[in-house]
Amino acid sequence: MTDRVLVAMSGGVDSSVAAALLVEAGYDVVGATMKLFCYGDSVPDRPCCSLDSITDAQLVAHKLGIPHYVLNFEDRFGRDVIANFVSEYARGRTPIPCVRCNSFTKFRDFLYHADALDCAYVATGHYAIARDGGLFRGRDVLKDQSYFLWGIDRGVVARMLTPVGSLTKPETRTAARRLGLVTAEKPESVEICFVPDDDYVRVLERHLPSDAPALAPGPVVTTGGEVVGQHDGFARYTIGQRRGLPGGFREPRYVVAIRPATREVVLGSGDELLGHAVTLGELNWLADPLAPGDPVWVQCRYRAPAVPGRVRECSPATLELDLAEPVRAITPGQSGALYDADGRLLGGGVIA
Amino acid sequence: MPKRLVYLDNAATTPVRPEVLEAMLPYLGREAFGNPSSPHRFGRAARAGVDQAKRSIAEALGGGGGGGGGVEPAQVIFTSGGTEADNLAVIGCALAARDRGDPFRVAVSAIEHKAVLAAAHAVAHLGGEEIILPVSGSGEVADAALNEALARGVAVVSVMWVNNEVGVVQPIARLAARCRDAGVPFHVDGVQAFGKIPVSLSDIPCTLFTISGHKIGAPKGIGALVVRDRHAVEAIIHGGGQQFGIRPGTENVPGIVGLGAAVELAAREQAAFAARAAALRDDLERRVLAVVPDAVINGASGPRAPHVSSVSIPGTDSEALLMHLDLAGIACSSGSACSTGAVEPSHVLTAMGVPRELGVAALRFSFGKENTEEDVEALVAALPKIVEKVRHLSAVLHR
Repeated sequence: MTDRVLVAMSGGVDSSVAAALLVEAGYDVVGATMKLFCYGDSVPDRPCCSLDSITDAQLVAHKLGIPHYVLNFEDRFGRDVIANFVSEYARGRTPIPCVRCNSFTKFRDFLYHADALDCAYVATGHYAIARDGGLFRGRDVLKDQSYFLWGIDRGVVARMLTPVGSLTKPETRTAARRLGLVTAEKPESVEICFVPDDDYVRVLERHLPSDAPALAPGPVVTTGGEVVGQHDGFARYTIGQRRGLPGGFREPRYVVAIRPATREVVLGSGDELLGHAVTLGELNWLADPLAPGDPVWVQCRYRAPAVPGRVRECSPATLELDLAEPVRAITPGQSGALYDADGRLLGGGVIA
Repeated sequence: MPKRLVYLDNAATTPVRPEVLEAMLPYLGREAFGNPSSPHRFGRAARAGVDQAKRSIAEALGGGGGGGGGVEPAQVIFTSGGTEADNLAVIGCALAARDRGDPFRVAVSAIEHKAVLAAAHAVAHLGGEEIILPVSGSGEVADAALNEALARGVAVVSVMWVNNEVGVVQPIARLAARCRDAGVPFHVDGVQAFGKIPVSLSDIPCTLFTISGHKIGAPKGIGALVVRDRHAVEAIIHGGGQQFGIRPGTENVPGIVGLGAAVELAAREQAAFAARAAALRDDLERRVLAVVPDAVINGASGPRAPHVSSVSIPGTDSEALLMHLDLAGIACSSGSACSTGAVEPSHVLTAMGVPRELGVAALRFSFGKENTEEDVEALVAALPKIVEKVRHLSAVLHR
């Protein structure tokens, strides 16, 4: 092994700066852009393989004087991430594909390439900090992306370099300008990469059979069991949603549950949206596993604050937590990321 | 950075030769920058460069010849490159046939360059029809399929002389004679043949012949179509009437002059180059097989041009091999293509019946005039470790 590092360059400003800072720090940097899906599918007027983001990554790599390659992960990303995204919605849940992309694609498949290329390290533009074998929240509280990283293999953390994790977003942009990178002024992408225009239903329509229950009409009911309307597919709804629901209630009404077996979308009050406990499945640990009685901080949604809680039950498969304060709209399919009081990411799971 | 860079991708492109650059320079600067259509001294200077290039190219391709079998300077039509020349031949013939009331139908071999295949497809898109002529395992166009196409009636038959991916050489003289006897225009894509194998159109009764500059040390952006029968093609771009209206537009004079110089050099050096390239290729294949015993040389069962070798390495994928070779300072290309979805074997290897797992694991090495024994040495030294790593990687990624 050398001090060679394989940097995942998405063509955005964060990973561009990550690559540049590693070059400045004297690493032997190799850049790679993962091609995760056929852009031609989702962006009809662009031919395959010529997406601007790949071009941007290539331009940055050229400017930095580092080699750059495009790695084709379409098959595996389709299987590990997109298929799961679709099946979760079909089960009435609200998935986070970015978590699975990190777990299966960026910090697993990408590592296979890093190994083959004799890279001691891998780097990304994540706002999170890998340090002393542990993974911590990024310094920029507004940008912190550690929430999406709970599912990666614990052994990978020691090989991760996170150059922008200790920067704020404005500092990253400043660095990009100082380095003259073409991506310096690129707007923030907040969409899911394979979901154009944030229209995930269109993705579901393309991947699910036309008679899929998730996209078929069903009843809108109250928590009391009263049918108050019709919806045209429960996959179009998510827990906590308020917009687009039948009106005529004195109090605001929210989606508080989705019942795929009966295709019911359930409405309730704001109070009925509050959860006092959470159960996590598909557990992964980045530190030693917790035991019943252990205190922990859990974050149940991206950009939501973590709340203190305590482990009630823990098996290898599931973790039940009692929350010290209620959390709004705990949503099956989202992640529960577990932290200690110092912002170290201990692991996490998928909300059951 | 690797110490020594090895370029084994000359079928993709070549650097501009110093002699070629020198010949071009006057046509870029004050000396002869004129528009060749202008009657004044500036135009005349440029026109002389173009005319001289046409003569050089006609001469190199077989000259005036006896009995009208060669190439006349006026038959050389310059284009923006091989792709445009191929398009002009295929689509231009189809359009001309349609105008005459003949079949709006073209026949091309399954292993043509995409420039020909896509042009044939464009004819179908325009309301015509495309016939894809299958090839044998050694890459040769099947006679029966050609006869069938000729019997149905086609506007043009297009077959490449030397295939760019595997180097397979077609029996062009025989195919051309068949088409001539049937009264059907025959187009030969000679991009990978010219300068590599003996090419004289005095022996080949083809109607149209494509060459490209950047494969032989001229710049990118210049090529030519030899049009021996002006009525066989209709223009596909339209403009001011230059080049008999077959390919209008102000001529790329420096490019044309560069092409003329490169063609002249390539023709003169062909025999010596072929001998050297064949020796390097044979050496490469022998030594690669020695270090990777289960490697497969594609297309080796038929006649091949000397400068191309297609090697499949079982259990790998060519994209990963290319990346690892590049990091080791070795440039070559793959026999696979990024199509929608995943990496697929190229249409050429598929048409030749190469199994998918070998098709996605194919590398193309192609020699140019600069290559030496040390290049083969460097490749053979780097390859075993790279193959081992990529095999491991592929096994992990495909389980």
